[in-house]
Amino acid sequence: MSDVNVLVVFYSKHGTTEKLALAAGLGAIQARANIRLRRVADLADRQTIDANASWRENLDRMSRDYVAPRPADPVWADVIILSTPRESCAEIEGYCSLLAANDSVAGKIAAPLATGGEDSVLRPIYAAAAGAGLIVAPPTKPGVDALADARAFGQRVTQMARSLKSIRT
Amino acid sequence: MITLRKSTDRGHTDLGWLNSYHTFSFGGYHDPQHMGFRALRVLNDDRVAPGKGFGAHGHRDMEIISYVMEGKLAHQDSLGEPREIGPNEVQAMSAGSGVIHSEFNASATEPTHFLQIWIVPEREDIAPSYQQFAYAPSEKHNTLRLMAAPDTKNGAAARIHQDARMYAAVLDRDNALTYAIPRGRHVWLHCVSGHMDLNGIALEEGDGVAVSDESTLDLRGTGAQGAELLLFDLA
Repeated sequence: MSDVNVLVVFYSKHGTTEKLALAAGLGAIQARANIRLRRVADLADRQTIDANASWRENLDRMSRDYVAPRPADPVWADVIILSTPRESCAEIEGYCSLLAANDSVAGKIAAPLATGGEDSVLRPIYAAAAGAGLIVAPPTKPGVDALADARAFGQRVTQMARSLKSIRT
Repeated sequence: MITLRKSTDRGHTDLGWLNSYHTFSFGGYHDPQHMGFRALRVLNDDRVAPGKGFGAHGHRDMEIISYVMEGKLAHQDSLGEPREIGPNEVQAMSAGSGVIHSEFNASATEPTHFLQIWIVPEREDIAPSYQQFAYAPSEKHNTLRLMAAPDTKNGAAARIHQDARMYAAVLDRDNALTYAIPRGRHVWLHCVSGHMDLNGIALEEGDGVAVSDESTLDLRGTGAQGAELLLFDLA
């Protein structure tokens, strides 16, 4: 059993951000973390989703593959990877607001990640995560392969958590 | 020395969509006396409801073999395209340095019954890989058919990264097989279904037997329809 627990929370409509989240999760596994994968629910109503075939099909598949975050997840986690699409941060921001009501996350690591690798997209999430008392991991400098970057990010934040835990114990 | 592990003594998980019996400690079932046998770490007897399954989750440093008795099992992992297996097919995944995958009952109407087997690899950080193969039912009919081994080459069996060999057989009633255990080796035998006899010990579905310091196993199908079995030859 590993010494570091990584919770990967993502919001995805068509699967692109899901892939990014999975790559970050795989990086965490490669760095010998235990992981949990969770998809945040849509804020859009069902009628809006059903009008978009790709969104609907991917939602049906992802509803099978992932459960929504549970209250016990952030308590279990040492790191919370927050993966969001660049065009829609509200879902992950909303999840951070829930974390703010949970005192047990204070001092844990938040690791925000966006498709497109744009730091500016992540600013509201940085603020929301910091507001919840989390230590916010800085982004990785974007390379040519977003998934490779996400894997490296997952590895890096796992090592950060391991270092923090060793200092605290 | 032959030690019987009765099916009724196994761990049990019932989640509604999943009914699983654990020969060795797994998930919420933890018994320090049953943490595995040699490199064999997990042997779960899983029944999965139609359309249900194991969502995306990660593995590391484990050889994971799926052996389907009934229904279809769909598999999707971070290594490639979705795959599906059924009876008379075997899937083996080397999780190695890390894999994320999901497994589901591919049918909307029929249950899936399969064995999930974990074998500890000989070393860590192996490059992840996935294999599956099919075989004819006749290949395991009253004979031991090799399903996984470290030295298989032509795809007729899964190549695993451990000094372990997994065989399957379907033994008709009163049909007998003898397995000569190589010197210094150990055997775990799992009765998959039916009834059988191992060196005079009666076995039924779900029973397991640990064998050490023995040279020969005499296996015989009993009951009305004989038995299906898995035999693990372990270092």
